[in-house]
Amino acid sequence: MNFYQRALRYIQRTPTKTLLLVITFFLIGNLVILGLGVSQASDNAKILTRQKMRAVVSYEIDYEGFWKYADAIEDVNERDEVYKHYPKLDIAYASRLTEDERVLAYNYMISDIAYGIDFDHVPLGNEENKNDSYVDENGNTVTYKEPEYMLCGSRSVNMIELEEGTWQVNEGRFLNEEDIDQARSVAVITEELASQNNLRVGDTITVTRTNPNNLSRYKDKGINTDELNIDLDIIGIYSTSEDVDPNSESFRWMSPYESPKNKILIPMTTMSEFMFNTYLLDREADPESYRDDDIEETRESLNTPSQVYFLLDDPLHVDQFVADYERSLPEFQMLNANNETFKKMARPLDTMSFFANIVVWIVVVNAVVIISLVTALTLKTREYEIGVLLSIGVSKLIVVAQLFLELLLIAFVGFALASVSGSLMAGRVGDLVLDYQSNADAQYESDDDYYFTSSDSYFTEVTQDELFSQYHVSVSPLLIFEIFILGTGVVLISIVIPSAMIMRLNPKQILLQ
Amino acid sequence: MSAILKLENICYGYTDGSFKREILKSLSYEFQAGTFYTILGPSGSGKTTLLSIMAGLDKQESGKIYFEGEDIDKMGLYRYRRNKIGVVFQSYNLITYLTGLENTLLSMTETDNKLPANRKEVAYALLNMVGIANTKADRLVTRLSGGEQQRIAIARAIACNVDLIFADEPTGNLDTATEQEIIRLFQMLSERYGKTIIAVTHSNEVSKLSDHRVLLKNGVLNDL
Repeated sequence: MNFYQRALRYIQRTPTKTLLLVITFFLIGNLVILGLGVSQASDNAKILTRQKMRAVVSYEIDYEGFWKYADAIEDVNERDEVYKHYPKLDIAYASRLTEDERVLAYNYMISDIAYGIDFDHVPLGNEENKNDSYVDENGNTVTYKEPEYMLCGSRSVNMIELEEGTWQVNEGRFLNEEDIDQARSVAVITEELASQNNLRVGDTITVTRTNPNNLSRYKDKGINTDELNIDLDIIGIYSTSEDVDPNSESFRWMSPYESPKNKILIPMTTMSEFMFNTYLLDREADPESYRDDDIEETRESLNTPSQVYFLLDDPLHVDQFVADYERSLPEFQMLNANNETFKKMARPLDTMSFFANIVVWIVVVNAVVIISLVTALTLKTREYEIGVLLSIGVSKLIVVAQLFLELLLIAFVGFALASVSGSLMAGRVGDLVLDYQSNADAQYESDDDYYFTSSDSYFTEVTQDELFSQYHVSVSPLLIFEIFILGTGVVLISIVIPSAMIMRLNPKQILLQ
Repeated sequence: MSAILKLENICYGYTDGSFKREILKSLSYEFQAGTFYTILGPSGSGKTTLLSIMAGLDKQESGKIYFEGEDIDKMGLYRYRRNKIGVVFQSYNLITYLTGLENTLLSMTETDNKLPANRKEVAYALLNMVGIANTKADRLVTRLSGGEQQRIAIARAIACNVDLIFADEPTGNLDTATEQEIIRLFQMLSERYGKTIIAVTHSNEVSKLSDHRVLLKNGVLNDL
């Protein structure tokens, strides 16, 4: 008659007590499953949505922080001085981030609009709606030439678009480290642009940052306008799956440079030198406008991007990546994972998860108290039995093991039943609360658009509906396992405390009670 | 005959407020193996306390108890209770959700003593020996009479193959006829199987049937 045989006999032969305890565990189990199920579904929805989003983090200037700091300066001169020196990204810091093993690719670029000298841009298809001239207030006709190209100077040879397959080099090669280190005058262009102008790898194109309609001011100063141009040898031709949306509202007003087909990629070092050279010529053409400029500071700013984007290996690593580097960020700089919008969007889920967790904790604490009381009362009626067992030499550990096993078996039955009913209940309650939460939130936040928006398209756009569509309350085997572990812990505490109270006495004292 | 249990300067008392009452006063005694002892004494003399201390259910304040020459404190009270003795209580103290057979098997499972492999048959045989038929042995103990329950308690006490049995008022809840049967059972265990029985009783009738009567008075034991 081992302890487990005795435990089974007790359960079998005291059916009323067993049933009452099964009901107690069943009710507690339902509430715990409800709470944990709702909470887990919220977390899962957030994780699934996160996984669908691009794992992108941007390193950028914290303009808001800087403006707040500058505006707080009372002395006007001092404030003006501060405004003259806008914060710049720290190149060394950005390089440190690129070396992190979670970073798959990064975009470290400076960009500017450009015009072609001897070749044509890829038409957008909206040209018929546009006039390239207008009459000014003096009655003169002014011709206007729209920017044609987006000239992108990259410091990265492993750009996000290449890593993700948005771009594919079909001919020649992409930029390499040597191109960047030696500031070579080379370019990678789209296949549409190449096709438009019958360009091949090895051909040369010439671009300028200066509007061809504004060359007179250089000529007036005797500046050779050819110096405003840069010749670029085509080293690669790539295809891109990016395109403009002809149905978008802004399409009508778009300039050719906004089309991904009109993007020209060159080394960032080449881009910086070209921009600095143009700056020097601008300065020569109009010395008055640039009188107070610090040339070296301008050179440095032309060499520094305003944002660096990092593509990580897993969307779920984004928060940790930001947390790892946030503490060592230079002043007025930030790592942006576009979390604020996501957090706002996920607020109803967080609220639900918060209350669900509170319910779980209240239930668990109450469960420990209730089950301990029930067990204590049950054990009170079994004091003599404990005394008898101890008097015939059964060890305290074996006595506890028997009582623990009895309650554990009962708890398992209660929780097993609860896992079925609790999961059904959790699904219904979860949907109801989510509806209520999202409606309540919509009332207060109706002005907010729940979209990930960014001037760049590196951050994925996800709507709140998409997030909520990931919300499914289901009781996973892991959750059941967690509940069983939790239940076992509650049972253990409930048994150990009252048993210890009884067994602190010797067998004679227990039997006399 | 050799001493199976030796008490040496046993002291025990309890405090009631500021008043300390001594129950056992440097009590010494030797119990011989194979003898049926009864301990008599007036109410409150400490008979049950003495039995509890001898059975390892309570702890003396001072003094030593030797079982076959071995200090039971050194042996460990759990081991002592599990392997060396059996106890029969006035209120039987059986496990109510178990049958007579299961109660008997209980002590056979817990002991470290060597027992035959066919424990169930042995348990039935022991129960039969104390007058419990197999059909009754398979019933829950709550469905048996007081006398039958006490017989099962005796079977449980001897089931783990021990030589020393303590009995605390074993016939206190029984009628006269049953009392006689239980006492005869103890006599049989002592005479036929060489068991040492130490029974606490207030009944002169019971004590007359024992081999040796001892009186507990003023905290010491004296032969009668």
